[in-house]
Amino acid sequence: MIEKSHLLPYAQRSDFKVARANELTGKDRRFFRFLEIVPGVAAWSTIIGIVLASIYTPFIAAYFIIAFSIYWVLKTIFLSYHVRYNWKRLKHHMELDWGEMVQRFSYDKYYHLVIFPFYKEPIEVLEQTIEGVLAARYDPQKLIVVFAAEARAGAEAGAVARTLEKKYGNSFGHFLVTTHPSDITGEIAGKGSNVHWALQQVKQKVIDVHKIPYKNIVTSVFDIDTVIYPDYFNCLIWFFMTVENPYKSCFQPVPLFTNNLWEAGALSRVMAMSSTFWQMIMQERPEKAATFSSHSVSFQALYEIGYGQANVVSEDSRIFWNLMIANDGNFEVVSMSYPIAMDATTASTFLGTIANIYRQHRRWTYGVENWCYIVYHFTKNKAIPLKKRWSVALLQGEGYWSLVTNPIMLFILGWAPIFLGTREFHETVLSYELPIMVRNLLIVAMFGLVVSAIISLSLTPPRPDGHSRFRYIVMMLQWIMVPMTMIVFSAIPGLDAQTRLMFGRYMGFWVTPKARIK
Amino acid sequence: MTHEPQIQILPQKHRSIFFWFLVAVFLIALPSLIFYTTGYRLSFENEETSIVTTGGMYVTTDNLEVDVYLNEGQVERPRLFRSAYYIQNITADQHRIVVQSSGYQTWAKVLPVDSRVVTEVSAFNLPERAQIRPITLYETATGTSVYFSNKIIDKVFAQATSTETFYYSTSTATITLQINSEFLFVESLFGTTSTSTKSIFSRLLDEVGKFGFATTTPEKETAGITPIQRTLRGDMELFDEEGELYAKWLGSSAAIPYYFCISSSSVASTSQRYGEHVAAAVETARQSTSTPLLIDNNRVCRTQVKLDRLRQDVFYYHFFPNSSDLVLMQLQDGIYVTEIDDRAWQNTQLLYPGTDIKTIVENDVIYIKDGEYYFQIVTQIETN
Repeated sequence: MIEKSHLLPYAQRSDFKVARANELTGKDRRFFRFLEIVPGVAAWSTIIGIVLASIYTPFIAAYFIIAFSIYWVLKTIFLSYHVRYNWKRLKHHMELDWGEMVQRFSYDKYYHLVIFPFYKEPIEVLEQTIEGVLAARYDPQKLIVVFAAEARAGAEAGAVARTLEKKYGNSFGHFLVTTHPSDITGEIAGKGSNVHWALQQVKQKVIDVHKIPYKNIVTSVFDIDTVIYPDYFNCLIWFFMTVENPYKSCFQPVPLFTNNLWEAGALSRVMAMSSTFWQMIMQERPEKAATFSSHSVSFQALYEIGYGQANVVSEDSRIFWNLMIANDGNFEVVSMSYPIAMDATTASTFLGTIANIYRQHRRWTYGVENWCYIVYHFTKNKAIPLKKRWSVALLQGEGYWSLVTNPIMLFILGWAPIFLGTREFHETVLSYELPIMVRNLLIVAMFGLVVSAIISLSLTPPRPDGHSRFRYIVMMLQWIMVPMTMIVFSAIPGLDAQTRLMFGRYMGFWVTPKARIK
Repeated sequence: MTHEPQIQILPQKHRSIFFWFLVAVFLIALPSLIFYTTGYRLSFENEETSIVTTGGMYVTTDNLEVDVYLNEGQVERPRLFRSAYYIQNITADQHRIVVQSSGYQTWAKVLPVDSRVVTEVSAFNLPERAQIRPITLYETATGTSVYFSNKIIDKVFAQATSTETFYYSTSTATITLQINSEFLFVESLFGTTSTSTKSIFSRLLDEVGKFGFATTTPEKETAGITPIQRTLRGDMELFDEEGELYAKWLGSSAAIPYYFCISSSSVASTSQRYGEHVAAAVETARQSTSTPLLIDNNRVCRTQVKLDRLRQDVFYYHFFPNSSDLVLMQLQDGIYVTEIDDRAWQNTQLLYPGTDIKTIVENDVIYIKDGEYYFQIVTQIETN
């Protein structure tokens, strides 16, 4: 019998950590399965609908495409406004002396628990990460560092962990290596289950042993390639001390995928920076955000929900939805606007890079599984305000729908009435003007890319020796790939993920390879 | 000492204001752009602002180097698809479109443009001076054609330009030369292909003659020796009948080429907009059971168009290479190319002048035999 008394009331439900329809029974199972089908059906209906409309009602399809193109231009302007504003805030936060700013608080009692789940990444990746923690302007005795290995990664991963423990074990207040067993029933292999195990282990072996109050621990779960900026812990504790309710908040930094930016190819850089920009946008509208990748939250909050889920792919966002739903909607994302550095996805070959980026984005866009979870629990937990339930469900749903459909509608289906329309349509001025209008609107929208190019350059690490200045020009011009990357690495993997979910072909966790290109 | 960041998170109020501003922009832009793309324009003529409706013209050309003029004004060349011109903002009226280029024959048409509708047209421009490639029996080791008589200069190259260099040999010795297999192929074409040497008039006269003697069993006779020759490309057919040359559409009404169709209107209007011959042809087709009009919503389409043979006898006809819209005709004084599109008029251009010639189009290549010489006709001026 699992002890549940420490859990929040809603988190004690047997279906609180549901991941798939087949974990439920009866009406709930059918309802959850229905929810799994909805995103895929919505996306495919939209795409097929536009094709059919282009064939049978090309005038209406053309008007819709014009409306959509205008919407896209305005959306680009709206999002660029957020990116630009967050860029200013990010730069400002990077210039602040957070160590000095936190001096007015009494924060000695707080510990930072830092968990680094890893799989088969080479030791140089782990060492770069831990050196980043060591370089932090923060008392290392207040850090509890956990390297969470996977048993399924074999003896080599264990050896790497032991090497790190030997080398760095005495550098921090506490240092723990955990090994996640490979045979726990109900889990799926991946980062989520590894972190889940590590949190239980660190509670048992460090926190409870040293009687550290759970409320005095701020937990940061970092991807293994995360290199923190020197003031990260100061910045985090500042926000922790200043937010209205630190135990009902997640703290989200801005992931800059810049560790290997100079070694990565143009495609990797564009995808990496595009992901960063999306997170920068979300930083300025946190009420619409969920946690992503590396983030922080109090240990108390995690303890109250049983450390999140070990059976989902998109565990980084699911943890926020677990917290939000268990706390009856009273949980928020706090945007730190402070960077952490991570790796851009690469491989040793161009095709390998394409494959890795595709798989990584398919995994990210499989986050649509969270929408099913949210809507399911929104129908169960009536303590969450109705307005919030509706707005979150619609907003998240629209996000997953537009991620998949918008690039395809804009760059491919915008031309559908011209190729598929009736003879009457082809004779009209509208038929000839439509591609010109769509093209011109897209050109206007492309000006947003100029903003992106400038901001991305300002966030690029200093040029290392051996790299030509010419690379800066490439870094500017690389943004013309965005229409292609939006289709190939957002829309198509998203459609892939939603289609899999629609047919109940559930995805597992794919570990993004991390390596240093020599 | 700074206690907190000076730049706070983007205030919700600012975001809301900006959001609703963009919503307002959307609501204004949407109808404006829909009106614009459907052909509505603001007019400031006569110091009065009014809304006018416009149409367009879509001109395709077979030559990238041409200049296009609309009502004497030059149309800006398109940047990408350079063989197609979309001309916007044209008022509903008759408009003259001219396509020309130095060294090429000029193509022109006067066509109506209707509001919110695009008038399609396809232009072609043949070289002013015939371009021919010699095909000789002998050629040098490097493939250069060899002539043994300088009569060729006066006979052919006085009126045509060779696209390839050729060699004039003063000696009749052929030991250093090689046989040109293409010559043998072309020679066999003209020798074996069952191209009638009779013109379509001659065959008409033959037919009339047979009618005259076949008084006993006319049906059997006419059924047995039909004078109609037919050439097919896709769903387009060329045939001659009773001394005239026709193009006929055999495909579906949905795929019928635009130039078979006109907007449905009165005879007088059709005559004014497309020419009397079109109006007459439409009325004839309206009464016809064999080539009826195809009528749908806003247009009527003939399925058969008579080709302009310049009042000359036709000795050979075929589709122009790589086209089902142009027809190559060998007439009494040369080889011509005409368009099937008879709206306003049919542009007909001389491809190669001559009276003692034979023509064969084989695999989209035009071969001619001028006297004793064989050539391929090249339809573009080669610049290299």
